[in-house]
Amino acid sequence: MPQDAERAQLASDLGREARLVAGREIYFDREGFFWEADDWDEEIAIVLLRESGLAELTETHWKVLRYFREYYFYHGRAPLNRQLKEGIGLSLQVLESLFPGGIRKGARRLAGLPNPKSCF
Amino acid sequence: MQKVSLKINGRWKQVVADSDLLLIDLLRERHKLTSVKQGCDRKGQCGGCTVVVNGKAVLACVTKVARLEGAEIITVEGLGTPDNPHLIQEAFVLSGAIQCGYCTPGMIMAAKALLDTNPNPTTEQIKAAFRHNLCRCTGYVSIITAVKLAGRFLRGELKPDDVRPKPDAPKIGVSHPRPTAMIKACGTAEFTADIDMPGALELAAVRSPHIHARIKRIDSSAAEAMPGVVGIITAKDIRGTNRLKTRVPDRPVLCEDTVRQLGDPVAAVVACTQEQALAAAAAVRVEYEPLPVLSSPQAAAAPGAYQIHSAWPNLCFQQPLIKGDAEQAMAAAAAVVEARFKTQINHQAPLEPEASVAYLEGEGEDAILVVIGRSINIHAALATLQEALGYENMRYEEAFSGGQFGIKLEITTEAIAAAAALRFQRPVRYIPSLAESMLLTNKRHAYHMHLKLGADATGKMMALTGELVEDNGAYNSNADVLLGRALHMLTSSYYVPNIKVLGQVVYTNNPYGSSARGAGPPQAHYALECTVDMLAEKLGIDPLEFRKRNSLATGQTKATSHMVTDVWPFPELCDAIRPAYEQAKQRCATYRSGPIRRGVGLGAAAFGIGRPGDKGTLAVELDPDDCVMLHGAVADPGEGNDAMLAQLAAEVLQVPLDRIRLSTRSTEDTTASGPAAGSRITYMMGGAALHGLQQLKRAMDEVGSKSYAALKAAGKPTRYMGEKSTVMTAPLDPKTGQGPSFESDVHAIQMAEVEVNTETGEVRVLRMVTAVDAGPIINPQAFAGQLEGGADMGVGYALREEYIAGTTKDWHTFKFPTMQTAFDSEIITRETPRARGTLGATGVGEMTMVSTAPTVINAIKDACGVWIYDLPATPAKVKAALAGRANPVA
Repeated sequence: MPQDAERAQLASDLGREARLVAGREIYFDREGFFWEADDWDEEIAIVLLRESGLAELTETHWKVLRYFREYYFYHGRAPLNRQLKEGIGLSLQVLESLFPGGIRKGARRLAGLPNPKSCF
Repeated sequence: MQKVSLKINGRWKQVVADSDLLLIDLLRERHKLTSVKQGCDRKGQCGGCTVVVNGKAVLACVTKVARLEGAEIITVEGLGTPDNPHLIQEAFVLSGAIQCGYCTPGMIMAAKALLDTNPNPTTEQIKAAFRHNLCRCTGYVSIITAVKLAGRFLRGELKPDDVRPKPDAPKIGVSHPRPTAMIKACGTAEFTADIDMPGALELAAVRSPHIHARIKRIDSSAAEAMPGVVGIITAKDIRGTNRLKTRVPDRPVLCEDTVRQLGDPVAAVVACTQEQALAAAAAVRVEYEPLPVLSSPQAAAAPGAYQIHSAWPNLCFQQPLIKGDAEQAMAAAAAVVEARFKTQINHQAPLEPEASVAYLEGEGEDAILVVIGRSINIHAALATLQEALGYENMRYEEAFSGGQFGIKLEITTEAIAAAAALRFQRPVRYIPSLAESMLLTNKRHAYHMHLKLGADATGKMMALTGELVEDNGAYNSNADVLLGRALHMLTSSYYVPNIKVLGQVVYTNNPYGSSARGAGPPQAHYALECTVDMLAEKLGIDPLEFRKRNSLATGQTKATSHMVTDVWPFPELCDAIRPAYEQAKQRCATYRSGPIRRGVGLGAAAFGIGRPGDKGTLAVELDPDDCVMLHGAVADPGEGNDAMLAQLAAEVLQVPLDRIRLSTRSTEDTTASGPAAGSRITYMMGGAALHGLQQLKRAMDEVGSKSYAALKAAGKPTRYMGEKSTVMTAPLDPKTGQGPSFESDVHAIQMAEVEVNTETGEVRVLRMVTAVDAGPIINPQAFAGQLEGGADMGVGYALREEYIAGTTKDWHTFKFPTMQTAFDSEIITRETPRARGTLGATGVGEMTMVSTAPTVINAIKDACGVWIYDLPATPAKVKAALAGRANPVA
């Protein structure tokens, strides 16, 4: 069996994978979302944003990321798009186009918000 | 048609009824008396619809209205209300006899009929009177207690206030009535099918009669033309990924081109009535091309076997567990035993069918798709549905649910109901039958196991080797997570220095497996604990002494080499159960000859709590009326989450219990913090609540007041986010299975006393004693209820229950435990505080399910000298073993 195929068959204990980002070991789930929101910081966000193909970070980008995080830490969950739209004051179309991957796989992922967990 | 006059809850009614109209439909549909539950496809098997007719307990689902001229009917709504309950309702609440509450109205009406004619019934009379009433949660112990307490109330010997905890009673360690118990007792708690949705469409699914087949063509033209049909959806109508992804995106909402297990959904019909939807679903023509059926992991993993999913091999996950040098240690062992074991596919068996409803709230692009269902992981369910359906603006609400036991970690009917509501922009109800509910749900995985255990001459376990093969079924939902749980807890209560075990997950065409109470460890513990008894026998050491001698100790390592730093009070539990064990052995010694034999068996478990990487969050908020609201997705499906959280909050803040409120059911106003599943709730979510409450308490102390106005005036926040994370976060090494493990454990040792009829092979459990240490107990009734219910479920798993797709269609074919099979139960508790427990506490939602089955199987061996290697230990298997026929697993 090729090594990659063999590796893929090994259970990855709750689906977590460690990655070194900006000199720190961070756990991500299989979709690339942070396992733990507290692992996020702006330095790491910049590395991930650049990896995602975003050349320039504007204040609007930071506003979206900070909104995500503030909402998450107050409510204990990610905002729905309508809540994001209301909170940021931009249309969903604009918000979708701001980040490669759109709102969920782009902005929310890069803001460090974890996916809801399925089982322990 | 026929006109019938009858009195319902004190009011005369005239009904012009079809001769076939059933009383359950009259009461539920026309009079909205939704306490009358339907849980057995109107076969008279579950008792959820029990009402009193002319003073007798009657099953409304098999009673025709046409025969009830002049009858007087009482439902639980006619007994009392939450503000003015009947004494029987009080007795059920005060006895802790209400968990999920689905069976409760029927139980209470059966009690009413019994106590009206016999106010002081014996246990045997109660068992006879309740022979038609099933309960999956309680093990019946507390229900029998409740009926006896109700008798005392009715005879005037006691009043509810004599039993009810006083307002100034301690908040912790006292059985304060659960917050939702009374509304369940009075029939006002709404389960999904009880929600009134005038004008909602009804949904019926088209399901595959083939186990494995390619879908060649779907022709719905005839069905679309049938009366009442609004439309039909297939996979092509679903706008999202059409995948209900948990670990990998392999399970479709509606199958596109292949069905992989019996009953896979192919299409869904929505119509004005359920009858119309079912008729049209039957008229949808689907052309299939059968594919090879792989019904065992061995067949599926064989070279050249048909690949069930093109994207994943049949052998889809592996996890070796390698600690020390097991081969060398085994070679040096003074005694070695080896055996193969197999467990069955099993249904978790909640009484309530898998009902869901969905509708759009608002209009146009801003409409919110609301799904009301039975998930106990509502935020994960929401995220999965958003992606599967391609619709983001959603809310998931958890209704009261009739039993959980792991089955409700999965999305089932919600997805199809929501897809239909989106497609037709109309409210949709999907209320499947029991038979369909069995067909469409995840099951407990079957395990095929081979274990070899060796000890040195002093009776110390030295090495464990073997394999655990998990039959994944057709779809992978948490299979690797559950296998991981089995491996984390592989050596359980014991210290074993050398291990080499391989865990594997294999796709088959069997019903797909997922969470089921205990989720992995119950299967592995069956093999381990039987092997432990075999080794004790070979060494000539008493099995209780052998277990105690091999107890792990603080500072030693678990199977994953995780060093235990918390307490490990297993030896003390062995001492605690010893008197009961010795007495049982003496009793059984007189049954060593003749056809009826009795035996005593032991089984132990250390059940892990707090898996590395787990985190709970829960918001605590002081409301303007000075009540405290806890916001967390931890709705109580019966285990007692609500009591635990309310008592914890009242204790920390030193406020009355009626000042605590819980918001737990909607994704809109709860925190997303993992599944509200069994044993993690008290430790992780209770811990998060504690953290939030302590912050609020600190603010109150600083202000010198517990009022909202005072906190506001002082500029203090009124909302605090509580968190609890496990200390260790790293995963296991994928190649060795070594790494940090669960940070605390619940410990138990159980003893079963069984009777075996060696002529018929029938086994009866007479008595079960459970010695358990889970830390300080918050609500003793809720605590005991979990242990008693888990043991009853474990005995069913050991002796009777098995899910066979296509054959197991109702509670009779499932062999649901009844009050007739209930047994005496004794619980011995120790309360050693855990270092990171919630006020020292952990949880016991799964505990007895883990070790009951091997306890029973070891008792059968003690009674009649034969091992059962293949669960369940049916009479046929016991007889075969007694006749010396070959071990079917070898």
